[in-house]
Amino acid sequence: MGLIDHRFEDNFITTNLDKVLNWARQSSLWPMGFGLACCAIEMMATSASRFDIARFGAEVFRASPRQADLMIVAGTVTKKMAPVLRRLYDQMPEPKWVISMGSCSNAGGPFPTYSVLQGVDKVVPVDVYVSGCPPRPEALLYGLMRLQDKIRKESTVLRKERVIMVGQSEPILVEDRG
Amino acid sequence: MQRLTKLFRTVFLVDLIKGLLVTLKYTPQPAFTFQYPAERRPVAPRFRGVLRLQVEPETGAQTCIVCDQCAKVCPDELILLGGHREPGHKIKILDYFDFNLSRCSFCGLCAEVCPTKPVKALIMSEDYELGTYERQKQILRVDEMYDGVEIEQYTR
Repeated sequence: MGLIDHRFEDNFITTNLDKVLNWARQSSLWPMGFGLACCAIEMMATSASRFDIARFGAEVFRASPRQADLMIVAGTVTKKMAPVLRRLYDQMPEPKWVISMGSCSNAGGPFPTYSVLQGVDKVVPVDVYVSGCPPRPEALLYGLMRLQDKIRKESTVLRKERVIMVGQSEPILVEDRG
Repeated sequence: MQRLTKLFRTVFLVDLIKGLLVTLKYTPQPAFTFQYPAERRPVAPRFRGVLRLQVEPETGAQTCIVCDQCAKVCPDELILLGGHREPGHKIKILDYFDFNLSRCSFCGLCAEVCPTKPVKALIMSEDYELGTYERQKQILRVDEMYDGVEIEQYTR
């Protein structure tokens, strides 16, 4: 938390300052390269010249979590990897966001086994879930734009509660509805 | 002699010029980047996007016969559907069709096994822009499953 975060009431200066700060945040999202499986290949394709994630200001894939704003969890998160993922998330400076990319990190994908984490939202709060197996580069860009939409609506200096959802229960298909 | 050639190459920067010529060759070409939200790339003919239900194109009647084959063949058991019989109708009326998108690996077995002819009731569509803020929204209900239902497109 910074010096000015969530400390001010709603008035002309703070709302405009909010807009400026959100604009700066949404247009320089530095992702952390967190490629775990085949989704990482699509993530690399997204950052290459054909799709060019640099058009959204998110081209600087950082090797260190301390320089990153956005964690793109691309691939199957095993239970052995989960504590590492949480630690890297904790090392990222605020403000930080998470995109869960692909079926595996969304919900465990086709691996309902003892060794695979059933959804990355069990350990870190996820902002956008991108479906696909793996998602096309366009789908990842779509997820990124949805995240930018979300950041634009966030309150930065305004006093507001931020709801962080961790460990959302898996959506269950309910049989027998009369 | 070999040392002399090496000296020549070093002094006159031959390798550097060779490299720059390659750069120069590609410079006048138009940009390779594909402006995604503005232009959309057509998908490959066998592309498998999100699962969709189809209706009869002329009448808009239901084609799904609620045979439960797709639910049985799904390796992750992501489809759940049910219907009821009604007098005067030859096929079962589809009541609910829930599809858990969050785990789907887009293998296409469900669409392959669908027996309805000539219009397939279940197809893998061309929609790929799937992003949600919540995990609960990744279960598609029957009214979101029909072909042609707009996926929420990005607008700035």
